Parts: sequence; C-alpha cells; structure tokens
Amino acid sequence: MGQLLTRQPRKLARNRAIVRTATVIAAVVGAVLSGGCRPGNNANNANNANNANNGGNGGAGAGGTPARGGELAASVHTDPQSFNRLVKRDSTSDLVASLTHARLVRLNRATEEVEPWLAASWTRAANGLSYTLKLQPNVTFSDGHPFTADDVLFSFEAVYDAKVDSVLADSMKIGGKALKVAAPDPLTIVVTFPEPFAPGVQLLDNLPILPRHKLGASLKDGTLTHEWGLGTPVDQLVGLGPFVVTQYVPGQRVVFGRNTRYWRRDANGAALPYLDRITVEIIPDQNAELLRLDGGQLDMTATEMRPEDYATVKRGADAGRLKILDLGVGFDADSLWFNLKPGGLGPKDARAAWLQHDGLRRAISLAVDRELFANTVFLGAGVPVYGPITPANKKWYAADLPRVPHDPARAIVELASIGLTDHNGDGRIEDAGNRPARFALITQKGNTTLERGAAVIRDELKKVGLTVDVVELEGNAVIQRVMSGNYDAVYFRLTATAMDPALNPDFWFSSGSVHAWNLEQKTPATDWERRIDEVMHRQTASFDEGERKRLFDEVQKIFAEHLPMIHFVAPRIYVAVSTRVTNLTPTAFSRPQLLWAADTIAVVH
Amino acid sequence: MLIYLLRRLAFAVALVFTVSSASLLLTRMAPGDYATEALGVGGGRARVEEMRARYGLNRPIVEQYRAWLAGALHFDFGRSFAYDRPVADLIPQRAANTAILAVTALAAATLVGLPLGIVSGARSRGTLTALIRTGSIALLSMPPLLTSLLLVFIAARTGWFPIGGMRTGASSSVDIVDLLRHLVVPASALALPIAAMFERLQSQAMREVVGQPYVLAALARGVPRSRVLWRDALKAALRPIASVYGLVVGTLLSGSFAVEIITTWPGLGSLMLEALRARDVYLVAGCAATGSVFLACGTLLSDAALALVDPRARE
Repeated sequence: MGQLLTRQPRKLARNRAIVRTATVIAAVVGAVLSGGCRPGNNANNANNANNANNGGNGGAGAGGTPARGGELAASVHTDPQSFNRLVKRDSTSDLVASLTHARLVRLNRATEEVEPWLAASWTRAANGLSYTLKLQPNVTFSDGHPFTADDVLFSFEAVYDAKVDSVLADSMKIGGKALKVAAPDPLTIVVTFPEPFAPGVQLLDNLPILPRHKLGASLKDGTLTHEWGLGTPVDQLVGLGPFVVTQYVPGQRVVFGRNTRYWRRDANGAALPYLDRITVEIIPDQNAELLRLDGGQLDMTATEMRPEDYATVKRGADAGRLKILDLGVGFDADSLWFNLKPGGLGPKDARAAWLQHDGLRRAISLAVDRELFANTVFLGAGVPVYGPITPANKKWYAADLPRVPHDPARAIVELASIGLTDHNGDGRIEDAGNRPARFALITQKGNTTLERGAAVIRDELKKVGLTVDVVELEGNAVIQRVMSGNYDAVYFRLTATAMDPALNPDFWFSSGSVHAWNLEQKTPATDWERRIDEVMHRQTASFDEGERKRLFDEVQKIFAEHLPMIHFVAPRIYVAVSTRVTNLTPTAFSRPQLLWAADTIAVVH
Repeated sequence: MLIYLLRRLAFAVALVFTVSSASLLLTRMAPGDYATEALGVGGGRARVEEMRARYGLNRPIVEQYRAWLAGALHFDFGRSFAYDRPVADLIPQRAANTAILAVTALAAATLVGLPLGIVSGARSRGTLTALIRTGSIALLSMPPLLTSLLLVFIAARTGWFPIGGMRTGASSSVDIVDLLRHLVVPASALALPIAAMFERLQSQAMREVVGQPYVLAALARGVPRSRVLWRDALKAALRPIASVYGLVVGTLLSGSFAVEIITTWPGLGSLMLEALRARDVYLVAGCAATGSVFLACGTLLSDAALALVDPRARE
C-alpha cells in the first residue's frame, strides 16, 4: 500500500502532462477532422469513407471498377497459432480464416446487415425454427474441387465434434444446444434451430466452411484438431475465400495470393479479389508498426490508431503518404465494475455493505467528469456514454437513456445515503464504523488508455472523498482475478462479439460467462438481474423487430438504473492507411477494421 | 587443461538446467495461465477447467515440473500450447536467426572496437584519441534498447535501411545483400555499446603494454612502431578482451531480446515474449534453455581461449 501511495505524486504529474498533451493532440485531431477527413459523428462514416475513397479514386479502372492487381502490405502483432480456425481463436488465426475461407452468410460490418454469401438466398419456415438456404452454384474450392452442401454438413459436424472441441462450438449453439442441419440436395441446406432465435441465419456468419475432401478423413479418425497446424505445407491449405496462403515465415510474415477460383464478382461482373497479393507482416511492437507505416513499408496496421499516434500519422497525412479514416464512435467502451457476487469480498469484509451497493455506483457515475475523461484518456477523441451499447450501434442504442451529469455535490449526497461521510474532516469519507472508504481498482498494465482512465477515475473520486488504489496488472492476471472473483473493482474493456444483443447472451444473462460483475450465476442474485433475464429471453425469441427493440430498450433502462458496470466514454476510432489503397469498407465494429472486406480492396499501381 | 574444461562444461550444464527450470516454474507460478489467456473473460469456468485438464495445467506444479524434466532428459521439451507443436520444432529457426544477429554484432564490435582501442591506447593524446574516447563513453552509457530506438528512428527518417524484419517482400530465396541490409539496424544497436566496451578495455591494456620494457626495447632497436604495436603489443594486450568475451556473449543475448522486439527481428526474443504473454510454459522454458545454451557455449569458449593464452586461468 505504501508503495502505491508513494507512486501517486508521480502519477499526478504524469496526468498533468497528459492533459497538456491532450490539448495539443486535440487541436491536431480537430484539424484532421475539419480539414483532412470527412465530417460526421457516427458509424455512417464507414460508408462515407468508402464513398470518399472511391470518389477520389486514383485506382479506378474503366467504368468505375477499381484497378485489378497490385500488392498490399498489412500487419499483425503475433503469429497465427494455427491455420485451423476450429481450434484457435487468436486474432491472427481469425484474420487468416477470414481471408482464406467463406461463410454461408456475411454480417456486413459497415451496414450491420446480413448478406448472402455462399448461401445465395434463404427462407424461414412458418414455425420460425427452420431456414432453407440455397447455395451459390458453380463454386469451387481453391484447389478446384467443387463446393456442395456436403461441405456445409461437414463443417457443422466438425464444429460440434467432441474430439475436435472447437473454440467455435459455443458460438454455434443456442442455449447450449446444437443446430440440426440437413442437405436435401447438393445446393440446398436446411438449418433447424432448437428454439426460436431472432437473429436467425446471422449465427452462420461464425462458421467457416471447410472442405470435406481435405479434412473428412481426419475428422473420422479423430485427428482434425492437429490438422492444418503451422507446419502444414501451405499448398495443402484449401478454402473458399478470396486469398490462399502462399508463404508463411514464422515470426516474419504470412503472404496471401489471389485465389484465382474465387467465386465472387463485383457489380460490374469483374472477378474478385482485386488485389494479387496481401503480405501480412508480423510486428509485435506497436511503435515499430507505426514507424513502418510512416516509412511506407506498410499500407495499413492491424488495429486502430492509439490517441498518442495522431501526431506521427498526421505528419504522414500532410505529406500525402497516409490518410486518416474517421470510423466514428467505437462499439465498445472501457468499463468499471465491482465484485457484486454475494460474499465475493470475503465473509468478514465490512466494506461489502457499501462496496456492493447501487448507491456507490450511482455516486461514481455522477462524480466522474466524462468530458474531462474524454480529453484526458482519449485526447479529445471520445464521446460520453452511459451504458454498454454506444451510439455506434445504431439499431440497438437506446437514445432516450438518461444522461448522467457531472455533479460531485449529488455524488456526495448519494455516498452519504449509503453511510459514507467525512467523519473527521480530513477530506476522505469513512463508513459508519469510521473505516476509510477505500478500494483497489485493478486495470491492465501496458494498455495506455486503461492506465490513463484508471488514473482519472482515481483523481475524480478523490474529490468526493473516496480513496482508490489503482493496481496495474498484466492482462492475463486481470482475467485470472476476474474469473476467480478475487477483486474489489476492475477497470477493463470487454468487447462485444456481435452487434445484435441476442448474440451476446453471455453478457446479458445472469448465467453468462461474461456477466463480469457476478459470473455464471445458477439463479439470478438480484431481482433486477432476474428481470433482465426474463426480458432478454423474450427479446431473443421474438421475430418482431420493433418489439425486440422495445424490449432491449427496457433492458438498457434496467441496466442504467442499477449500473452493474459504469461506462464513461466511448473512443472515436481512427485508422491510418496509405493513400495508394482505395475502395475500402471500414468498420468501427471489429478488428481488423479494413481487412474484413479484403476482396474489394484495391490499390493504385 | 582437460579437467579444467570438464569443470567448465559441468558449470554450463548446471546453468542451462537452472535457467530453464526457473523460467518454467516462474511462468507457471505467475497469475493466469494459458487457459485464461486463450479463452479470455468469457471463456467460462467449466471450459477453462476443461482446458487446464487437457494441457495438464491442473496438476500440482511439482508433478508438472517432474514430467517436463523427465522429458527434457530425453530431449523432449514438451509441446507448445499455443502452436500445438513440439517446442523442439519451433525453436531452431528462431535460434538460428538470433545467432545470426548475435554473431554479426559480435564480429562488428570486435572489428571496430579492437582497432580503435589499439589506436587510442597507443597514443595518450591527440584529437583522434579524444574523439574515440568520447564516442565510446557516450555509447557505453546508452543501453542497446535506446540505441536501437535511435537507429530505428534514423532509419525511418532517412530511408537508408529497412526499419524491421529480416527479409524484404515475399521472396523465399535467401538474398545475402538483403539480409545484410536488414542486419544493419539491429546488429549496430547491439554492436555499438560492445564495441565501445572493447575499445575501452583494449585501450587501457594497450597503454599498459606499450610502457613495458620489451616494447620500449623493440622500439629502441628500430623495429617499426606499427609492427611493434600490431604484432607484439597487441598479442599481450588481448588478455582482458579474451576474459570478458564470455560475458559479452551473455550481454549480447539479453540485449538482443529487447532489440529483436524493437526491430522486429524474428529471433528467440520475440518468440519468448509471445510465449510469456500466452503463458506457454514449455515454450518459455525452451526459449530460456536455448538462450542459456548460447550463454554457456560462449562462456565455455571464452574460458577455453583464456586458458590457452593465460595458463594461470586453469588453476
């Protein structure tokens, strides 16, 4: 504890420096927004970016079709862990899968609509449980083998196989039950859900379709888990995606070549993808990545820009080498939550009476100045939020949720209502037993926005008398503490895996594994969690989109009343890309923001 | 001599054993494990427990260590959790890349540091001596991490050399010129402080030797100064350098891990960092063991060299 206290003055000084830097950077960002980039403040910017890029299209060929050919250099931070997406979930393995495989449907990350992909069309049965999907005809795998409904059956068999123990299995189940799949003919698939499920075929966006002719034998003999490891010769990797892996050099790069048998065509009938090659460099350090982008050795990076990188990228933009895309507000915001498990703080911890009380969380929401938070943590590039659904999620965001003002006086009243007042006049509040109101806030070390956010929370709460000890731990240690319930409070970012709330049941339902404040409850611990469970059940089963929205608004309202998680600011998402890259379809929803739609990206060459 | 070398060999084996065991145990004891890293907060307790059982992470630490040790005695260093491949398959290529970097840096440091040390040691005054001394002190005070950042920055601004990686583009053939160009920044970052250290040591040793009666006598007999310095005095002045060569190899490796991350050199350092982040315990132990093998080999060679030039070291 002493060590933490001695660190505070240094941190305060650092915060002041950050605020000073924020002012400068905010001015830079302002200049970027007003001069270099498109105006706008929501996810529509993704489409605007696309149009803007096409509009100034140096790479367009005749008739507005982007020029075919050329190479693109992108980056990731780690090697893929496998070429078999069924067994690994790391972001690089996911990127490899998205470039080399195709799904039955695609969730368009920019428009939030479900689009036909390998399935050309589908219909829902009157019972609401079955969907009949018609597959695209004349599609072949990258090795020339024809694609049929049998490959879809194989992919479902593989993902549900107990021996494979796929990391995708849970995402392909409803209420823990598998979907039933049949193939009446080679171009038709019938998928039956175990219970009414509103998002319907959107779920199929999770499953890459794999070739039975390459992997069928290993599924039979129980060795599919070990198939397509990193030692596999790349010419053995076969898929339906726009690219094929042509080279993998451990620790250096993965090279993707154009899949000449790819089945998609653009609006003018030209074969996709436009690019001949994508080289994905493996660069563990984000500073090195930025230098290589600035030096012209990369066209785009794996993730969005960090707020502190604006100045460097802006120089590149001014010189005409780079452009900064404003993708609007992000879908996720960092959040603060307390350990709300009954008895979770230990049977003898008297702090539970106030530490787990709704009033404390309401007071914290009032005490933290969200504008200051946005300026300090995101250097001005963020918007205040009051719940887990940010304005970026246009379809599900409840715009009428009450805005919590910055009101330290009201926060002090709230704290007094739960027995926390300054008994001895030292500026710090105590509980009824005269014990200091103090808690430890765990956050992730090395994540600059989380570190800055935790420091702001600590400083803002100090003004209302609460003492916060910020404890920075390595990411894995934070996860371990959350899962074991060994913490007072955590400040961390949980990312949504889908835009539709029905596809994030693990967060909303009290039994969920991402219900972070009290994980995997057997029965709801509180009445309001029981109410959320009930409403979410109805929301998930309803096929009336208006009714679903109304029900989810109700869920967000209950959430805002009880604040099991406190959200302060959602960052704006900016990505930097070389000016020679065109025809982009950026998304603020998920990483990678640009390469998710790689088959339509083009370059000027 | 043989007993001396056997004693040093036993020390090297003990070093490798201690380093790899300690790295495995410390990684295993750190909060979080591969299951929590791979599955994240949303993994669910049941699934995390299943994964721990599958990878043997639910076993007591002593039992896990004992099993690893039994395998290691048969050169089976376990299987990487993250890559689902034997550790022994993952390490050789990365170790070779680290060795290329380290050997290049050591050669560059020797070729630059020794001659400069002779020049500055042979002349106690002069502009050149002052310049060499100032440069060496400046470089000695900078850790390789800082030097590499500075060099990467210069490379990025000027475009003279590649900023990172080991090879340009997607070519699979080995292009020596391309490799050398990629080596400039990381090898210089490692070599410059070591060259400075060699220069300082050599300079001091040289100053002592040139004052020796046999050197003065040779000069008095009319033997050319350059011949006395580069043939007779140099041989005698090499002893301090030979004695620190082993330590330098260790410095080079520990420094190279940080430089590899900054310059994205695909060596053991970046692999070990990835393994540490993922709590891939066997891969961490494998990387640490390989690093300690390099260190042990370097120390052994240095000891052998020292024993050859100075018989007193054998005692």
